[in-house]
Amino acid sequence: MVSLTTLYEITFGGAILAFIAQHTIKQLRTFIVIVTSALGVYIVWRLPSQATDISFRLGDFQILWGVNEYSQLFALLIAVLGFFTLIYSIDFMKERERLGYFYMNFLIVIGGMYGIVYSQDLISLFFFWEIMTWSSFMLVIYCCDDAQSIGLKYFVFSAIGAYAMLTAIVLIWANLETTSLSVLFENFTNLSSGLQITVIVLFIVGFGVKSAMMPFHVWAPDAYAISPTPFTALFSGALSKMGIWGLGIVLLKLAAQSGFYVWVQDIVAWIGAITALLATFYAIVQTDAKKLLAYSSIGQLGYIIVGLAIGTPLSIMSALFLAMLHGIFKAMLFMSAGAVFYRTGSTDMNEVTGLIRKMPWTFLTALFGIITVAGVPPLGGFAAKWMLYEATIQSGHYFLVIVLFAASTAAFLYLYRFIFSLFLGQEEKEYADIKEAPLTMTVPMVIMALFTLVVGVFPGIFINPIGNAMGYFGNYTFNWDVSSLLNEWGNHVDMMTVVMTIGAIFIIAAIFITIKNYRTTRYVTTKDIHTSGEIPTENENLTYAVDFYKPFERAIAPVLKRSIDKTYNLIAENLESAFDFLRYVYTGNGQTYALYVVLFLAVLMVFAELIFGIQL
Amino acid sequence: MSLSPVQFIAVPLFAAFLIPLIGKASKETVKLVPGIVLLYLSYVALNLFPRGLERPIVEHIAGFNPPFGITLYYGPLAAFLTTLVTLIGFVIWLYSYKFIIREPFEKYYMLFMLLITGSTGIILTGDIFNMFVFLEITAIAAYSLTAFLRDKDGAEAAFKYLLIGSFSSTFVLLAILLIYMQTGTLNLADIALKMADVPITMKIFILILFITGLGIEAEIFPLNGWAPDAYSQAPSPVGAVFGGIVVKATIYALMRIVYLMFNFHSVLHFFVIMGVITMLIAEMSAMRQHQIKRMLAFSSIGQMGLVIIAFGLGTEPGVRAALFQMFNHALIKTLLFFSAGYLVFHSGSKHISALDGLGRDKPLTSFFFAFGALAIIGLPPFAGFWSKLYILLSVADAHLVTVVVLILISAVIEIVYYLRVVSRLYFKRETATDVRRTPLSGLAAMGILAVVILFVGLYPNTILDWLTPAARELMNTSEYIRTGLHLNSGLLSINF
Amino acid sequence: MEINWSSVIGIVATPVIAFIVGVLYGGAVRKITARVQNRYGPPITQNLFDIIKLYSKKTAIQHGVMQHLGPVFAITASVTSLYFIPVIKDSPYFQNFSFNGDLIFLLYMMVFGSLGMALGAGQTGNPNSAIGVSRGLSQMVGYEIPFVLALVAIMIQFKTTSLNELLAVQDHFTNWIIFQSPLAFVAGILAFLGMMHYAPFDVVIAPAEIASGPPSEFGGKYLGLMMTSGSIFAFVKLVLFVDIFLGGASDFITLIIKTFLLYMIPVLTGIVSPRFRTEQSILFFWKWPTFIGILAIIVVVLNG
Repeated sequence: MVSLTTLYEITFGGAILAFIAQHTIKQLRTFIVIVTSALGVYIVWRLPSQATDISFRLGDFQILWGVNEYSQLFALLIAVLGFFTLIYSIDFMKERERLGYFYMNFLIVIGGMYGIVYSQDLISLFFFWEIMTWSSFMLVIYCCDDAQSIGLKYFVFSAIGAYAMLTAIVLIWANLETTSLSVLFENFTNLSSGLQITVIVLFIVGFGVKSAMMPFHVWAPDAYAISPTPFTALFSGALSKMGIWGLGIVLLKLAAQSGFYVWVQDIVAWIGAITALLATFYAIVQTDAKKLLAYSSIGQLGYIIVGLAIGTPLSIMSALFLAMLHGIFKAMLFMSAGAVFYRTGSTDMNEVTGLIRKMPWTFLTALFGIITVAGVPPLGGFAAKWMLYEATIQSGHYFLVIVLFAASTAAFLYLYRFIFSLFLGQEEKEYADIKEAPLTMTVPMVIMALFTLVVGVFPGIFINPIGNAMGYFGNYTFNWDVSSLLNEWGNHVDMMTVVMTIGAIFIIAAIFITIKNYRTTRYVTTKDIHTSGEIPTENENLTYAVDFYKPFERAIAPVLKRSIDKTYNLIAENLESAFDFLRYVYTGNGQTYALYVVLFLAVLMVFAELIFGIQL
Repeated sequence: MSLSPVQFIAVPLFAAFLIPLIGKASKETVKLVPGIVLLYLSYVALNLFPRGLERPIVEHIAGFNPPFGITLYYGPLAAFLTTLVTLIGFVIWLYSYKFIIREPFEKYYMLFMLLITGSTGIILTGDIFNMFVFLEITAIAAYSLTAFLRDKDGAEAAFKYLLIGSFSSTFVLLAILLIYMQTGTLNLADIALKMADVPITMKIFILILFITGLGIEAEIFPLNGWAPDAYSQAPSPVGAVFGGIVVKATIYALMRIVYLMFNFHSVLHFFVIMGVITMLIAEMSAMRQHQIKRMLAFSSIGQMGLVIIAFGLGTEPGVRAALFQMFNHALIKTLLFFSAGYLVFHSGSKHISALDGLGRDKPLTSFFFAFGALAIIGLPPFAGFWSKLYILLSVADAHLVTVVVLILISAVIEIVYYLRVVSRLYFKRETATDVRRTPLSGLAAMGILAVVILFVGLYPNTILDWLTPAARELMNTSEYIRTGLHLNSGLLSINF
Repeated sequence: MEINWSSVIGIVATPVIAFIVGVLYGGAVRKITARVQNRYGPPITQNLFDIIKLYSKKTAIQHGVMQHLGPVFAITASVTSLYFIPVIKDSPYFQNFSFNGDLIFLLYMMVFGSLGMALGAGQTGNPNSAIGVSRGLSQMVGYEIPFVLALVAIMIQFKTTSLNELLAVQDHFTNWIIFQSPLAFVAGILAFLGMMHYAPFDVVIAPAEIASGPPSEFGGKYLGLMMTSGSIFAFVKLVLFVDIFLGGASDFITLIIKTFLLYMIPVLTGIVSPRFRTEQSILFFWKWPTFIGILAIIVVVLNG
């Protein structure tokens, strides 16, 4: 029995069962969780061939759930990432408290995301959207004291986004009397142009908040950093993609029909590019690895937004390609940071150092992760970046592409810092006894790492399903060879040749340097280094980590000085004090209240004409 | 004895008189009486419901036909509200069973029964003077319950309530007097019929008196000064009674009168505006409260603002959404007051700051509070989501986009102050542990509410199917007049 | 399968030629610098002998597998980039894989080596290496912007991202892109100054300050491989610029002349320049070169 209903039943049911199991038979909990998510993967995989649309009435609304290739793309990402992160969490969360709570919300988030992508109407979309929001909020505040204000910030921003979306839904209902997505797409042009642009903007805000689009991104770094790592991986990998999923629909299905399309495209693309650039700058100055990755996430989502906004076949392809790939590589990076945290208890890049020989598999994952983010061939990131740049240039966004290039070049800085601070550099005595993370953590990480290589060699395994998914937006065909990339001017890159060349040279050079060399060379510790004659003692601190990019920070100081976060906080504080002033309307004095009553009566009498249109 | 709507009034009234007598014999039995009564009433309510939906039941008391006799009108709307009141009443009794242990608890139950009598009376009566009487019964019971704890704060709050409440009675009585002078009848349907002949200025004057008088109990700003004090100083179940029952009945009275007698557009717009102001000011004030029950009180007012907005739209979807919101709010706010009651009890302080870390110590009670908070914010899959959605949709249907935005802004404020408390409960370090356990009856009461809230959230159709005829009844005044006066539809040719 | 012998010869010969030319250029630079500074200077073959010497030495120590692979990464990037650039125009021997890649691919491929080097240098734990990497990456953000601006200007002017097509456009010396798009050339050449790491942009290796930075822990074969890679890489950058701006080269003599003249620009600038601090060089690139690059794009857009 494979259908959407079973998918929801199993996922949400599994959530509740996991909670119950935690409080009754603890041993069952992990089993339930893993089985639930594995079944999720299976069902999602089988859905397109077997599922039929599900439609029923709920109140005034016709609810419609259905599978299409666009949603299938995202659902697979959710399912696979959910499965991997849950396996990862078995050992990661072992010693923590309130696991029932954790796993219940975790599965609810996954279920909510399934619900979103399979919704074919606005009501169920919003319904699942909010479920996803509060359950992810619950996970954000899972740990630590300062989680409170961070969680609240996350929820308030999510709520602003969700309510923007709700306003749009309500407007659509009031004017088109429908909540069905397909009817909306057909009749969108029947709306007045003012209404069209309002709906588009509201939806963009709604989905933009979740995809951490500036200026709505301020919740993201803290929320990503503070939530438990298995969830962070899902949060950044899949949950943020829900925003992308929606933006795709809004930009390519709704905005594309309106007269403002060109404007919307340009504005959103620029917002995306600026998001990418600024987030990258902020990532560079972080000292906490998870926060760095969080900003990196925001930056990558910026690229995806650019790709969607530009709206040429190649750019949409690149955006969706990057969206899928980002789900994988950002999960890898967060997981490797999490593995470091699991063993050392910290992700502070000024503290942790030199873990490469202690945690080789984690390092390998991180290495593949950063190479993918950087977009350096031969891993998958290259294909995404390449398509994005080509599409941006060829659609005439010349300055946009410069911003993107600047962002992605600057990305090398934080990527290097991430891997250098945690894994390379001085090997301190403090971390001498660190072991590699347990198998449940390394295996999912390494599988995903190898996958990025496969995608790098054969981008076709992503491009073909994404090409199908793009059928949802219009008639796009990508009859490319499995390992080649083509741009709109007919230039191409053959990944097979590239990878073969790189591989061959790499292997030849590696053999050359290893033969007769590796055996004869002696391993020496990182204390035994060239220090211009001074011999460092055992306890001397030779780690170079604090203020790693001071010179660069000086160069971009004017950018860093301004913080939109502070502005928001200021607004919030002012509002609160205004409310505080206002609440003294309620003086607590009975006479005052009596006076209010009398005054109210008097005002009604005196202004009866104004209020009821009739003079007394 | 065949089932009849009269029992909603007669049985609790009888029980209220019986309770002191039983109390003389056995104090413990007293506790059971309201439970039995309300269980019975719930049974009656559920049995009568389909009949009420089918065709309104009009009962005449004392044998006179309308417009001279006293009438009870049990249509879909009354059916819905009485069911709500009895069910909420039952849950409140269940909760009170172990919560109200302080002497003289038999008085508490007596007053509680009177309050149920009053509320169902307001809902059922087809006679405006009777409505006044029931309003007074409710109000007096409410004053006394506010001061039930017999402490200084309680007495002060009760006095304020009494002070403002006396304004309410005066204005309502004055309005009824004027109506009687003008139309010579007290039967609601008859008044509605004859109201057309009343001079417009007089109509407006009566209307203003009603708005002010009933607005006090319905918590319209700025008439709601008494509410925060009364809610927070009264015992927690009483807070739930106010939020879940009393206010609902009064709003019903206000809306019934307005729709029946003054159904013109500027009145309704006035309600939308008053609703928005009430909602915004209440939510903003709630944000800055330091005591949890005061916060809940302000939140209650805010929710009532929302209900008034929806009623003020004057459209059938609007009224239905308002009724839905009333239903949900009654359930959810009761749940919140219940859990807050035990949270206050366990932490030993009314202050929110004292709740730090109680989530670990009292997981179930805290869970119910969090549950209620998520539900009242309007998050799916809880019941509050649907009613808020319906209100927004109906507001948008009336092309009041600004109001949509304001409602959503106030929802954001709501999120902030509720989640602040929730995250305090779970994510601050524990300050103190309390060895006392939350009694089973309290947990059961909260559990029932939570299950209903979730059920309605997942299957909103169950409630919506009842609400549609109820909303139609409120909108369709001519039908009310016709059935209320036993007129044939042919005779009715009045233009409103 | 039929084997195309000319391309096989090309694949073998190109790196060798690139290496020899690059190494000799390196020697020449040392000589020229010395002459300018009124010294005699080492012979022009000095670098070649240095590398041979390094390869023949036994490598004594290493700090781990990443350091071991760092030079491998570097040489991989250099040689791969080389294979994707048409070295001699229209020659069957020296096209290699240039039809399978384009400019944006090259941009990324060229970074691959730096990244590998940086990782290798990172594992040594030498703070000087880390400081060097930090500086190098920061500076890269500086010069990459004018460079990309110049490339974008050219790409949109000729509607292609392929080097071969750019070469085809420059069929006569009046059609050289240096003349067709002089602003792009200026921006590109200013970025080129940064890419070559000569003064005033030599803060990355700054020998007297941070003991030559990233390579400071590498010795023996490691250093030999790195120097080999560096020589090839210098040649790669020169050929790339010659192909983009100077019409490529149809024979070896032209190639040597063009690349050597081009090489002299950063070298001679370097000899007479002091050293910029990192942030100074970043801001330098973000000012005039970027402005000129933007101007180049605007000109293209207005013309086209």
